[in-house]
Amino acid sequence: MSRKKAARGKAATSSPSAGSPAGKRAARSSPGIVQMNGVVHPSRPSISNSSEFYDIAFKVMLVGDSGVGKTCLLVRFKDGAFLAGSFISTVGIDFRNKVLNIDGVKVKLQIWDTAGQERFRSVTHAYYRDANALLLLYDVTNKSSFDNIQAWLTEIHEYAQQDVVLMLLGNKADATHDRVVKREEGEKLAKEFGVPFMETSARSGLNVELAFTAVAKELKHRSTKDPSEKFKLQEYVNKEVKGVGCCRS
Amino acid sequence: MERGAEDGPQASQNDGERIDPYGFERRDDFEPYKEMMNEYVAVLNRRSKRWSKLLQDKPNVEKNLTVKRYVRKGVPNEHRAKIWMAASGAQEHLESKPGYYQSLLEMEHDAKLRETIHTDMHRTFPDNILFKSRAEEGLQKALYNVLLAYGHHNQTVGYCQGMNFIAGYLMIITKDEEKSFWLMDALLGRILPDYYSPDMLGLKTDQEVLGELVKTKAPAVGQLMAQYPGIWTLVVSRWFICLYIDILPIETVLRVWDCLFYEGSKVLFRVALTLVLRHQVEILRARSLPDVCECFKQITCGAFTLDCHAFMQKIFTEPGSLSMATIDKLREKCRQQILEEESQRR
Repeated sequence: MSRKKAARGKAATSSPSAGSPAGKRAARSSPGIVQMNGVVHPSRPSISNSSEFYDIAFKVMLVGDSGVGKTCLLVRFKDGAFLAGSFISTVGIDFRNKVLNIDGVKVKLQIWDTAGQERFRSVTHAYYRDANALLLLYDVTNKSSFDNIQAWLTEIHEYAQQDVVLMLLGNKADATHDRVVKREEGEKLAKEFGVPFMETSARSGLNVELAFTAVAKELKHRSTKDPSEKFKLQEYVNKEVKGVGCCRS
Repeated sequence: MERGAEDGPQASQNDGERIDPYGFERRDDFEPYKEMMNEYVAVLNRRSKRWSKLLQDKPNVEKNLTVKRYVRKGVPNEHRAKIWMAASGAQEHLESKPGYYQSLLEMEHDAKLRETIHTDMHRTFPDNILFKSRAEEGLQKALYNVLLAYGHHNQTVGYCQGMNFIAGYLMIITKDEEKSFWLMDALLGRILPDYYSPDMLGLKTDQEVLGELVKTKAPAVGQLMAQYPGIWTLVVSRWFICLYIDILPIETVLRVWDCLFYEGSKVLFRVALTLVLRHQVEILRARSLPDVCECFKQITCGAFTLDCHAFMQKIFTEPGSLSMATIDKLREKCRQQILEEESQRR
Protein backbone atom coordinates (compact mmCIF):
# COMPACT_ATOMS: atom_id res chain seq x y z
CA MET A 1 0.00 0.00 0.00
CA SER A 2 1.35 3.34 -0.82
CA ARG A 3 2.68 5.19 2.12
CA LYS A 4 1.17 8.53 2.72
CA LYS A 5 3.80 10.70 4.15
CA ALA A 6 3.05 14.04 5.53
CA ALA A 7 5.82 16.25 6.71
CA ARG A 8 6.73 15.42 10.24
CA GLY A 9 4.28 17.23 12.44
CA LYS A 10 5.53 20.28 14.18
CA ALA A 11 4.92 20.57 17.84
CA ALA A 12 1.43 21.86 18.16
CA THR A 13 0.78 24.51 20.67
CA SER A 14 -1.94 24.11 23.16
CA SER A 15 -5.25 23.68 21.44
CA PRO A 16 -8.52 23.71 23.24
CA SER A 17 -10.30 20.45 23.70
CA ALA A 18 -13.37 19.79 21.68
CA GLY A 19 -16.56 21.18 23.04
CA SER A 20 -15.12 23.96 25.11
CA PRO A 21 -15.40 27.53 23.93
CA ALA A 22 -11.85 28.67 23.68
CA GLY A 23 -11.89 32.36 23.18
CA LYS A 24 -9.90 33.91 20.38
CA ARG A 25 -6.71 32.09 20.01
CA ALA A 26 -4.85 30.26 17.37
CA ALA A 27 -4.90 26.54 17.27
CA ARG A 28 -1.98 25.19 15.38
CA SER A 29 -1.87 21.75 14.07
CA SER A 30 0.37 19.70 11.91
CA PRO A 31 0.70 20.58 8.26
CA GLY A 32 0.37 18.19 5.42
CA ILE A 33 -2.81 17.70 3.52
CA VAL A 34 -2.51 14.19 2.27
CA GLN A 35 -3.35 14.48 -1.37
CA MET A 36 -1.20 13.22 -4.19
CA ASN A 37 -2.05 13.40 -7.86
CA GLY A 38 -5.56 14.31 -6.89
CA VAL A 39 -5.91 11.06 -4.97
CA VAL A 40 -7.04 11.49 -1.44
CA HIS A 41 -5.87 8.78 0.86
CA PRO A 42 -8.31 8.42 3.69
CA SER A 43 -6.25 5.88 5.55
CA ARG A 44 -3.92 8.60 6.68
CA PRO A 45 -6.02 11.59 7.37
CA SER A 46 -4.29 14.75 8.37
CA ILE A 47 -5.25 17.25 10.92
CA SER A 48 -6.40 20.65 9.77
CA ASN A 49 -4.08 21.72 7.01
CA SER A 50 -3.05 25.16 8.16
CA SER A 51 -2.71 27.18 11.28
CA GLU A 52 -6.32 28.12 11.22
CA PHE A 53 -7.88 30.31 13.81
CA TYR A 54 -11.04 29.22 15.46
CA ASP A 55 -13.35 30.35 18.20
CA ILE A 56 -15.11 27.22 19.27
CA ALA A 57 -14.48 23.54 18.71
CA PHE A 58 -16.82 20.57 18.68
CA LYS A 59 -16.53 16.85 18.30
CA VAL A 60 -18.64 15.19 15.64
CA MET A 61 -18.79 11.45 15.09
CA LEU A 62 -19.73 9.54 11.96
CA VAL A 63 -21.48 6.27 12.68
CA GLY A 64 -23.37 3.66 10.70
CA ASP A 65 -22.93 0.22 9.17
CA SER A 66 -19.80 -0.85 7.37
CA GLY A 67 -19.66 0.39 3.78
CA VAL A 68 -22.33 3.12 4.01
CA GLY A 69 -19.77 5.75 3.04
CA LYS A 70 -18.65 7.40 6.28
CA THR A 71 -15.06 7.91 5.20
CA CYS A 72 -16.12 9.04 1.71
CA LEU A 73 -18.51 11.58 3.20
CA LEU A 74 -15.76 12.92 5.43
CA VAL A 75 -13.22 13.12 2.62
CA ARG A 76 -15.76 14.86 0.37
CA PHE A 77 -16.43 17.41 3.08
CA LYS A 78 -12.82 17.88 4.08
CA ASP A 79 -11.11 17.85 0.71
CA GLY A 80 -13.96 18.25 -1.77
CA ALA A 81 -12.95 15.08 -3.58
CA PHE A 82 -14.45 11.76 -4.39
CA LEU A 83 -12.52 9.04 -6.11
CA ALA A 84 -14.20 5.72 -6.56
CA GLY A 85 -11.96 2.79 -5.83
CA SER A 86 -9.42 4.59 -3.73
CA PHE A 87 -10.87 3.98 -0.31
CA ILE A 88 -9.85 1.29 2.11
CA SER A 89 -12.06 -0.01 4.88
CA THR A 90 -11.61 1.93 8.09
CA VAL A 91 -10.17 -0.13 10.89
CA GLY A 92 -10.55 1.33 14.36
CA ILE A 93 -11.17 5.03 14.79
CA ASP A 94 -9.65 8.19 13.36
CA PHE A 95 -10.40 11.89 12.99
CA ARG A 96 -9.97 14.99 10.84
CA ASN A 97 -10.51 18.66 11.56
CA LYS A 98 -12.24 21.30 9.53
CA VAL A 99 -12.90 24.91 10.43
CA LEU A 100 -16.16 26.43 9.20
CA ASN A 101 -17.21 30.04 9.21
CA ILE A 102 -20.64 30.14 10.77
CA ASP A 103 -22.10 33.65 10.76
CA GLY A 104 -18.71 35.16 11.42
CA VAL A 105 -17.71 32.66 14.07
CA LYS A 106 -14.95 30.16 13.30
CA VAL A 107 -16.21 26.77 14.32
CA LYS A 108 -13.77 23.89 14.34
CA LEU A 109 -15.29 20.48 13.83
CA GLN A 110 -13.17 17.58 14.96
CA ILE A 111 -14.77 14.80 12.95
CA TRP A 112 -14.31 11.23 14.11
CA ASP A 113 -14.58 8.44 11.61
CA THR A 114 -15.30 4.99 12.99
CA ALA A 115 -15.19 1.42 11.72
CA GLY A 116 -18.73 0.32 10.98
CA GLN A 117 -18.45 -3.36 11.71
CA GLU A 118 -20.46 -4.32 14.75
CA ARG A 119 -17.62 -5.75 16.81
CA PHE A 120 -15.68 -2.50 16.60
CA ARG A 121 -18.47 -0.76 18.46
CA SER A 122 -17.27 -2.30 21.71
CA VAL A 123 -14.01 -0.46 21.06
CA THR A 124 -15.44 2.81 19.76
CA HIS A 125 -18.56 3.45 21.84
CA ALA A 126 -16.39 4.75 24.69
CA TYR A 127 -15.82 7.79 22.49
CA TYR A 128 -19.53 8.52 21.96
CA ARG A 129 -19.60 10.06 25.39
CA ASP A 130 -17.57 13.09 24.37
CA ALA A 131 -19.29 13.62 21.03
CA ASN A 132 -21.26 16.84 20.64
CA ALA A 133 -22.92 15.61 17.48
CA LEU A 134 -23.46 12.32 15.72
CA LEU A 135 -24.10 11.85 12.04
CA LEU A 136 -25.80 8.49 11.62
CA LEU A 137 -25.53 7.13 8.09
CA TYR A 138 -27.24 4.44 6.11
CA ASP A 139 -26.83 3.53 2.46
CA VAL A 140 -29.93 3.98 0.29
CA THR A 141 -28.75 1.05 -1.85
CA ASN A 142 -28.43 -1.28 1.12
CA LYS A 143 -31.65 -2.23 2.92
CA SER A 144 -29.96 -3.85 5.91
CA SER A 145 -27.97 -0.70 6.65
CA PHE A 146 -31.34 1.07 6.89
CA ASP A 147 -32.90 -1.68 8.99
CA ASN A 148 -30.00 -1.40 11.42
CA ILE A 149 -30.67 2.28 12.14
CA GLN A 150 -32.90 1.41 15.10
CA ALA A 151 -30.10 -0.65 16.63
CA TRP A 152 -27.72 2.24 16.12
CA LEU A 153 -30.14 4.62 17.83
CA THR A 154 -30.35 2.26 20.80
CA GLU A 155 -26.57 2.19 20.99
CA ILE A 156 -26.45 5.98 20.77
CA HIS A 157 -29.03 6.46 23.50
CA GLU A 158 -27.04 4.17 25.71
CA TYR A 159 -23.63 5.70 25.25
CA ALA A 160 -23.94 9.25 23.94
CA GLN A 161 -24.70 12.43 25.86
CA GLN A 162 -28.37 13.14 26.36
CA ASP A 163 -28.26 16.41 24.46
CA VAL A 164 -26.13 15.15 21.58
CA VAL A 165 -27.04 16.68 18.23
CA LEU A 166 -28.14 13.84 16.02
CA MET A 167 -28.82 13.71 12.31
CA LEU A 168 -29.84 10.85 10.06
CA LEU A 169 -28.27 10.72 6.60
CA GLY A 170 -29.28 8.50 3.69
CA ASN A 171 -26.05 8.35 1.70
CA LYS A 172 -25.32 7.29 -1.91
CA ALA A 173 -28.43 9.15 -3.06
CA ASP A 174 -26.86 9.53 -6.52
CA ALA A 175 -27.19 5.79 -7.16
CA THR A 176 -30.69 5.97 -8.64
CA HIS A 177 -30.57 2.53 -10.26
CA ASP A 178 -29.47 0.67 -7.16
CA ARG A 179 -31.67 2.51 -4.70
CA VAL A 180 -33.73 0.24 -2.45
CA VAL A 181 -34.65 2.68 0.33
CA LYS A 182 -37.01 5.48 -0.72
CA ARG A 183 -36.47 8.96 0.57
CA GLU A 184 -39.92 8.85 2.15
CA GLU A 185 -38.90 5.83 4.21
CA GLY A 186 -35.94 7.72 5.59
CA GLU A 187 -38.12 10.71 6.33
CA LYS A 188 -40.67 8.56 8.10
CA LEU A 189 -38.11 6.87 10.30
CA ALA A 190 -36.46 10.18 11.15
CA LYS A 191 -39.82 11.67 12.11
CA GLU A 192 -40.58 8.69 14.28
CA PHE A 193 -37.40 9.25 16.25
CA GLY A 194 -37.52 13.03 16.05
CA VAL A 195 -34.22 13.51 14.30
CA PRO A 196 -33.43 15.76 11.33
CA PHE A 197 -32.90 13.90 8.09
CA MET A 198 -31.51 14.42 4.64
CA GLU A 199 -30.18 12.39 1.77
CA THR A 200 -26.55 12.89 0.82
CA SER A 201 -24.12 11.77 -1.81
CA ALA A 202 -20.41 11.74 -1.19
CA ARG A 203 -20.00 11.03 -4.89
CA SER A 204 -21.88 14.07 -6.19
CA GLY A 205 -21.47 16.22 -3.11
CA LEU A 206 -25.23 16.52 -2.61
CA ASN A 207 -26.00 18.00 0.83
CA VAL A 208 -22.60 17.01 2.23
CA GLU A 209 -21.63 20.56 3.13
CA LEU A 210 -25.13 21.16 4.44
CA ALA A 211 -25.06 18.20 6.82
CA PHE A 212 -21.93 19.43 8.54
CA THR A 213 -22.89 23.09 8.38
CA ALA A 214 -26.28 22.42 9.92
CA VAL A 215 -24.67 20.56 12.79
CA ALA A 216 -22.09 23.32 13.25
CA LYS A 217 -24.83 25.96 13.30
CA GLU A 218 -26.81 24.09 15.90
CA LEU A 219 -23.77 23.55 18.10
CA LYS A 220 -22.66 27.15 17.76
CA HIS A 221 -26.14 28.37 18.53
CA ARG A 222 -26.30 26.25 21.66
CA SER A 223 -22.93 27.32 22.95
CA THR A 224 -23.32 31.05 22.38
CA LYS A 225 -26.90 31.12 23.61
CA ASP A 226 -27.43 34.47 22.00
CA PRO A 227 -31.07 35.32 22.69
CA SER A 228 -31.29 37.51 19.60
CA GLU A 229 -30.55 34.49 17.45
CA LYS A 230 -33.17 31.95 16.69
CA PHE A 231 -32.03 28.74 15.14
CA LYS A 232 -34.05 25.63 14.54
CA LEU A 233 -32.03 22.79 13.09
CA GLN A 234 -34.95 21.01 11.50
CA GLU A 235 -36.26 24.18 9.85
CA TYR A 236 -32.82 25.08 8.56
CA VAL A 237 -32.37 21.64 7.08
CA ASN A 238 -35.82 21.69 5.47
CA LYS A 239 -35.08 25.06 3.92
CA GLU A 240 -31.62 24.23 2.58
CA VAL A 241 -31.89 20.58 1.63
CA LYS A 242 -31.61 19.62 -2.01
CA GLY A 243 -33.21 16.69 -3.74
CA VAL A 244 -31.50 14.20 -6.01
CA GLY A 245 -31.12 15.59 -9.51
CA CYS A 246 -31.22 19.13 -8.23
CA CYS A 247 -28.22 21.36 -8.75
CA ARG A 248 -25.10 19.45 -7.78
CA SER A 249 -22.64 21.23 -5.65
CA MET B 1 6.87 -10.92 -9.26
CA GLU B 2 9.18 -13.72 -10.34
CA ARG B 3 12.69 -12.99 -9.36
CA GLY B 4 15.91 -14.83 -8.90
CA ALA B 5 17.42 -15.41 -5.52
CA GLU B 6 20.42 -13.33 -6.42
CA ASP B 7 18.56 -10.24 -7.49
CA GLY B 8 16.36 -9.37 -4.57
CA PRO B 9 13.07 -7.61 -5.13
CA GLN B 10 12.95 -5.54 -8.25
CA ALA B 11 10.76 -2.55 -8.65
CA SER B 12 9.30 -1.65 -12.00
CA GLN B 13 8.78 1.76 -13.45
CA ASN B 14 7.01 1.22 -16.75
CA ASP B 15 5.18 3.99 -18.46
CA GLY B 16 5.70 6.31 -15.55
CA GLU B 17 4.05 3.83 -13.21
CA ARG B 18 5.78 3.41 -9.94
CA ILE B 19 4.99 -0.04 -8.69
CA ASP B 20 6.85 -2.00 -6.05
CA PRO B 21 7.57 -5.73 -6.39
CA TYR B 22 4.45 -6.54 -4.39
CA GLY B 23 2.16 -4.72 -6.81
CA PHE B 24 1.61 -1.52 -4.83
CA GLU B 25 1.53 1.74 -6.71
CA ARG B 26 3.86 4.14 -4.96
CA ARG B 27 3.05 7.48 -6.45
CA ASP B 28 4.49 9.55 -3.66
CA ASP B 29 7.38 7.63 -2.16
CA PHE B 30 8.88 5.59 -4.96
CA GLU B 31 12.21 7.42 -4.81
CA PRO B 32 13.00 6.89 -1.12
CA TYR B 33 11.79 3.30 -1.47
CA LYS B 34 14.06 2.68 -4.45
CA GLU B 35 17.00 4.27 -2.68
CA MET B 36 16.47 2.09 0.38
CA MET B 37 16.16 -1.03 -1.77
CA ASN B 38 19.38 -0.21 -3.62
CA GLU B 39 21.21 -0.41 -0.30
CA TYR B 40 19.17 -3.29 1.06
CA VAL B 41 19.80 -5.51 -1.96
CA ALA B 42 23.31 -6.34 -0.73
CA VAL B 43 21.88 -7.55 2.57
CA LEU B 44 19.22 -9.54 0.73
CA ASN B 45 21.76 -11.25 -1.50
CA ARG B 46 23.91 -12.18 1.47
CA ARG B 47 20.96 -13.50 3.45
CA SER B 48 19.68 -15.33 0.41
CA LYS B 49 22.94 -17.24 0.00
CA ARG B 50 23.08 -18.10 3.68
CA TRP B 51 19.48 -19.30 3.69
CA SER B 52 19.97 -21.40 0.56
CA LYS B 53 22.91 -23.12 2.18
CA LEU B 54 21.04 -23.64 5.44
CA LEU B 55 18.07 -25.14 3.66
CA GLN B 56 20.32 -27.31 1.52
CA ASP B 57 21.90 -28.82 4.61
CA LYS B 58 18.62 -29.10 6.50
CA PRO B 59 15.57 -28.96 4.25
CA ASN B 60 13.23 -29.23 7.20
CA VAL B 61 13.21 -25.99 9.13
CA GLU B 62 13.96 -26.70 12.75
CA LYS B 63 13.55 -24.33 15.61
CA ASN B 64 16.94 -23.54 17.06
CA LEU B 65 19.11 -20.56 17.86
CA THR B 66 20.69 -20.42 14.41
CA VAL B 67 17.35 -20.36 12.63
CA LYS B 68 16.04 -17.80 15.12
CA ARG B 69 19.00 -15.55 14.34
CA TYR B 70 18.50 -16.11 10.63
CA VAL B 71 14.82 -15.21 10.92
CA ARG B 72 15.59 -12.02 12.82
CA LYS B 73 18.00 -11.02 10.06
CA GLY B 74 15.25 -11.51 7.52
CA VAL B 75 13.82 -14.33 5.43
CA PRO B 76 14.47 -13.84 1.71
CA ASN B 77 11.27 -13.48 -0.25
CA GLU B 78 11.80 -16.66 -2.22
CA HIS B 79 11.84 -18.68 1.01
CA ARG B 80 9.25 -16.69 2.89
CA ALA B 81 6.20 -18.84 2.26
CA LYS B 82 8.10 -21.99 3.15
CA ILE B 83 9.60 -20.60 6.34
CA TRP B 84 6.35 -19.04 7.52
CA MET B 85 4.51 -22.30 6.85
CA ALA B 86 7.12 -24.37 8.68
CA ALA B 87 7.76 -22.07 11.64
CA SER B 88 4.10 -21.46 12.40
CA GLY B 89 3.03 -25.08 12.14
CA ALA B 90 0.76 -24.21 9.22
CA GLN B 91 2.49 -26.76 6.99
CA GLU B 92 1.78 -29.52 9.47
CA HIS B 93 -1.89 -28.60 9.65
CA LEU B 94 -2.17 -28.39 5.89
CA GLU B 95 -0.68 -31.85 5.50
CA SER B 96 -2.80 -33.38 8.23
CA LYS B 97 -6.03 -32.15 6.65
CA PRO B 98 -5.79 -32.61 2.92
CA GLY B 99 -8.83 -31.35 1.05
CA TYR B 100 -10.15 -29.48 4.08
CA TYR B 101 -9.71 -26.03 2.55
CA GLN B 102 -11.47 -27.11 -0.62
CA SER B 103 -14.34 -28.57 1.39
CA LEU B 104 -14.80 -25.23 3.14
CA LEU B 105 -15.15 -23.56 -0.22
CA GLU B 106 -17.65 -26.12 -1.45
CA MET B 107 -19.94 -26.10 1.56
CA GLU B 108 -23.04 -23.94 1.76
CA HIS B 109 -22.05 -20.48 2.85
CA ASP B 110 -23.58 -18.12 5.35
CA ALA B 111 -25.17 -15.27 3.37
CA LYS B 112 -24.41 -12.59 5.93
CA LEU B 113 -20.75 -13.55 6.14
CA ARG B 114 -20.54 -13.55 2.37
CA GLU B 115 -21.97 -10.07 2.20
CA THR B 116 -19.74 -8.71 4.97
CA ILE B 117 -16.62 -9.96 3.22
CA HIS B 118 -17.90 -8.74 -0.12
CA THR B 119 -18.29 -5.20 1.26
CA ASP B 120 -14.54 -5.03 1.84
CA MET B 121 -13.38 -6.58 -1.43
CA HIS B 122 -13.03 -3.36 -3.40
CA ARG B 123 -11.70 -1.67 -0.26
CA THR B 124 -8.70 -3.95 0.17
CA PHE B 125 -5.55 -2.57 -1.43
CA PRO B 126 -7.22 -0.55 -4.21
CA ASP B 127 -3.74 0.81 -4.88
CA ASN B 128 -2.32 -2.62 -5.66
CA ILE B 129 -2.43 -3.77 -9.26
CA LEU B 130 -2.90 -7.39 -8.17
CA PHE B 131 -6.10 -6.53 -6.32
CA LYS B 132 -7.81 -4.40 -8.91
CA SER B 133 -10.92 -6.28 -9.86
CA ARG B 134 -10.13 -5.98 -13.55
CA ALA B 135 -6.66 -7.44 -13.22
CA GLU B 136 -6.46 -10.60 -15.30
CA GLU B 137 -4.73 -12.80 -12.80
CA GLY B 138 -6.03 -10.74 -9.93
CA LEU B 139 -5.93 -11.87 -6.35
CA GLN B 140 -9.31 -10.47 -5.37
CA LYS B 141 -11.18 -13.74 -5.92
CA ALA B 142 -8.50 -15.66 -4.04
CA LEU B 143 -8.69 -13.15 -1.19
CA TYR B 144 -12.46 -13.60 -1.04
CA ASN B 145 -12.11 -17.39 -0.98
CA VAL B 146 -9.54 -17.38 1.82
CA LEU B 147 -11.67 -15.10 3.99
CA LEU B 148 -14.86 -17.02 3.28
CA ALA B 149 -13.20 -20.33 4.08
CA TYR B 150 -11.66 -18.95 7.24
CA GLY B 151 -14.97 -17.49 8.39
CA HIS B 152 -16.56 -20.93 8.17
CA HIS B 153 -13.55 -22.66 9.70
CA ASN B 154 -13.52 -20.35 12.71
CA GLN B 155 -17.12 -19.38 13.25
CA THR B 156 -16.45 -17.56 16.51
CA VAL B 157 -14.40 -15.02 14.63
CA GLY B 158 -16.15 -15.20 11.28
CA TYR B 159 -14.86 -12.09 9.56
CA CYS B 160 -13.38 -9.02 11.20
CA GLN B 161 -12.16 -5.98 9.30
CA GLY B 162 -8.39 -6.02 9.20
CA MET B 163 -8.36 -9.71 8.29
CA ASN B 164 -8.82 -8.61 4.68
CA PHE B 165 -5.46 -6.85 4.75
CA ILE B 166 -3.74 -9.77 6.46
CA ALA B 167 -5.11 -12.33 4.01
CA GLY B 168 -4.13 -9.95 1.21
CA TYR B 169 -0.49 -9.86 2.32
CA LEU B 170 -0.48 -13.63 2.72
CA MET B 171 -1.74 -14.02 -0.85
CA ILE B 172 0.88 -11.59 -2.13
CA ILE B 173 3.63 -13.66 -0.51
CA THR B 174 2.40 -17.23 -0.95
CA LYS B 175 0.38 -16.82 -4.17
CA ASP B 176 -1.54 -19.81 -2.85
CA GLU B 177 -5.02 -19.81 -1.32
CA GLU B 178 -4.61 -22.95 0.75
CA LYS B 179 -1.30 -21.83 2.24
CA SER B 180 -2.75 -18.39 3.00
CA PHE B 181 -5.68 -20.06 4.71
CA TRP B 182 -3.48 -22.18 6.97
CA LEU B 183 -1.26 -19.20 7.77
CA MET B 184 -4.39 -17.28 8.78
CA ASP B 185 -5.26 -20.25 10.95
CA ALA B 186 -1.81 -20.16 12.55
CA LEU B 187 -1.99 -16.42 13.20
CA LEU B 188 -5.53 -16.20 14.52
CA GLY B 189 -5.70 -19.63 16.11
CA ARG B 190 -2.30 -19.89 17.81
CA ILE B 191 0.02 -16.92 17.44
CA LEU B 192 -2.17 -13.92 18.25
CA PRO B 193 -4.48 -13.35 21.21
CA ASP B 194 -8.19 -13.03 20.35
CA TYR B 195 -7.91 -9.74 18.48
CA TYR B 196 -10.68 -10.48 16.00
CA SER B 197 -13.42 -12.19 18.01
CA PRO B 198 -16.65 -10.22 18.51
CA ASP B 199 -15.68 -8.83 21.92
CA MET B 200 -12.13 -8.03 20.74
CA LEU B 201 -10.91 -8.74 24.25
CA GLY B 202 -7.41 -9.70 23.12
CA LEU B 203 -7.06 -6.40 21.31
CA LYS B 204 -8.30 -4.33 24.23
CA THR B 205 -5.94 -6.29 26.48
CA ASP B 206 -2.85 -5.81 24.34
CA GLN B 207 -3.53 -2.08 24.03
CA GLU B 208 -3.45 -1.83 27.82
CA VAL B 209 -0.44 -4.15 28.05
CA LEU B 210 1.44 -1.78 25.76
CA GLY B 211 0.37 1.07 28.03
CA GLU B 212 1.83 -0.78 31.02
CA LEU B 213 5.07 -1.52 29.19
CA VAL B 214 5.41 2.13 28.18
CA LYS B 215 4.92 3.16 31.82
CA THR B 216 7.94 1.05 32.71
CA LYS B 217 10.17 1.70 29.73
CA ALA B 218 9.27 5.33 28.96
CA PRO B 219 7.74 6.72 32.17
CA ALA B 220 7.35 10.27 30.89
CA VAL B 221 5.34 9.09 27.91
CA GLY B 222 3.36 6.85 30.22
CA GLN B 223 2.50 9.89 32.35
CA LEU B 224 1.43 11.90 29.34
CA MET B 225 -0.78 9.12 28.04
CA ALA B 226 -2.35 8.65 31.47
CA GLN B 227 -3.94 12.10 31.06
CA TYR B 228 -6.09 10.79 28.25
CA PRO B 229 -8.13 7.75 29.23
CA GLY B 230 -8.78 5.39 26.35
CA ILE B 231 -6.07 6.91 24.21
CA TRP B 232 -4.22 3.67 23.53
CA THR B 233 -7.20 2.46 21.54
CA LEU B 234 -7.02 5.54 19.36
CA VAL B 235 -3.35 5.35 18.64
CA VAL B 236 -2.56 1.65 18.41
CA SER B 237 -5.70 -0.41 17.69
CA ARG B 238 -4.90 -0.34 13.98
CA TRP B 239 -1.28 -1.27 14.63
CA PHE B 240 -2.32 -4.50 16.29
CA ILE B 241 -5.42 -5.34 14.21
CA CYS B 242 -3.59 -4.90 10.91
CA LEU B 243 -0.29 -6.31 12.22
CA TYR B 244 1.35 -3.07 11.04
CA ILE B 245 0.05 -3.30 7.45
CA ASP B 246 -0.28 0.21 6.07
CA ILE B 247 1.31 1.50 9.25
CA LEU B 248 4.89 0.55 8.41
CA PRO B 249 6.44 0.18 4.94
CA ILE B 250 5.81 -3.22 3.38
CA GLU B 251 9.41 -4.47 3.57
CA THR B 252 9.44 -3.65 7.26
CA VAL B 253 6.08 -5.33 7.85
CA LEU B 254 7.31 -8.51 6.18
CA ARG B 255 10.41 -8.52 8.35
CA VAL B 256 8.23 -8.11 11.44
CA TRP B 257 6.04 -10.97 10.25
CA ASP B 258 9.10 -13.22 9.82
CA CYS B 259 9.57 -12.92 13.58
CA LEU B 260 5.83 -13.05 14.27
CA PHE B 261 5.53 -16.47 12.63
CA TYR B 262 8.69 -17.77 14.23
CA GLU B 263 8.67 -16.21 17.71
CA GLY B 264 5.09 -15.18 18.34
CA SER B 265 3.11 -12.06 19.17
CA LYS B 266 5.70 -10.51 21.49
CA VAL B 267 7.37 -8.90 18.50
CA LEU B 268 4.32 -6.66 18.05
CA PHE B 269 5.14 -5.03 21.40
CA ARG B 270 8.79 -4.70 20.49
CA VAL B 271 7.85 -2.76 17.38
CA ALA B 272 5.45 -0.46 19.24
CA LEU B 273 7.91 0.13 22.08
CA THR B 274 10.73 0.92 19.69
CA LEU B 275 8.57 3.49 17.90
CA VAL B 276 7.58 5.10 21.19
CA LEU B 277 11.06 5.05 22.76
CA ARG B 278 12.66 6.44 19.64
CA HIS B 279 10.22 9.36 19.46
CA GLN B 280 9.78 10.27 23.12
CA VAL B 281 10.76 13.89 22.54
CA GLU B 282 8.18 14.37 19.81
CA ILE B 283 5.45 12.60 21.77
CA LEU B 284 6.14 14.64 24.89
CA ARG B 285 5.63 17.85 22.95
CA ALA B 286 1.98 16.96 22.40
CA ARG B 287 -0.38 19.18 24.32
CA SER B 288 -3.74 17.66 23.53
CA LEU B 289 -5.31 14.38 22.57
CA PRO B 290 -5.40 15.26 18.85
CA ASP B 291 -1.71 16.20 19.07
CA VAL B 292 -0.88 12.82 20.53
CA CYS B 293 -2.92 11.01 17.88
CA GLU B 294 -1.23 12.93 15.09
CA CYS B 295 2.17 12.30 16.59
CA PHE B 296 1.56 8.56 16.72
CA LYS B 297 0.76 8.68 13.01
CA GLN B 298 3.94 10.57 12.20
CA ILE B 299 6.29 8.33 14.15
CA THR B 300 5.56 5.38 11.87
CA CYS B 301 6.75 7.28 8.80
CA GLY B 302 10.11 8.28 7.49
CA ALA B 303 13.58 6.85 7.15
CA PHE B 304 13.61 5.20 10.58
CA THR B 305 10.93 2.66 9.67
CA LEU B 306 11.73 2.50 5.95
CA ASP B 307 15.21 1.15 6.57
CA CYS B 308 13.87 -2.24 7.58
CA HIS B 309 17.18 -3.92 8.32
CA ALA B 310 18.31 -1.28 10.80
CA PHE B 311 14.81 -1.03 12.23
CA MET B 312 14.70 -4.76 12.95
CA GLN B 313 18.02 -4.55 14.77
CA LYS B 314 16.63 -1.70 16.85
CA ILE B 315 13.51 -3.56 17.94
CA PHE B 316 15.64 -6.23 19.57
CA THR B 317 17.91 -3.77 21.36
CA GLU B 318 16.09 -0.50 22.14
CA PRO B 319 13.23 -1.81 24.29
CA GLY B 320 15.67 -3.96 26.31
CA SER B 321 14.63 -7.25 27.80
CA LEU B 322 11.03 -8.27 27.37
CA SER B 323 10.26 -11.70 28.69
CA MET B 324 7.25 -13.72 27.68
CA ALA B 325 6.57 -14.20 31.39
CA THR B 326 6.20 -10.43 31.80
CA ILE B 327 3.86 -10.23 28.82
CA ASP B 328 1.78 -13.15 30.06
CA LYS B 329 1.47 -11.61 33.50
CA LEU B 330 0.49 -8.21 32.13
CA ARG B 331 -1.99 -9.78 29.73
CA GLU B 332 -3.66 -11.61 32.58
CA LYS B 333 -3.78 -8.50 34.75
CA CYS B 334 -5.13 -6.22 32.02
CA ARG B 335 -7.64 -8.80 30.86
CA GLN B 336 -9.07 -9.06 34.38
CA GLN B 337 -9.26 -5.27 34.68
CA ILE B 338 -11.11 -4.94 31.39
CA LEU B 339 -13.55 -7.71 32.29
CA GLU B 340 -14.23 -6.06 35.64
CA GLU B 341 -14.78 -2.66 34.07
CA GLU B 342 -17.08 -4.13 31.47
CA SER B 343 -19.14 -6.02 34.02
CA GLN B 344 -19.49 -2.87 36.15
CA ARG B 345 -20.80 -0.96 33.17
CA ARG B 346 -23.53 -3.50 32.54
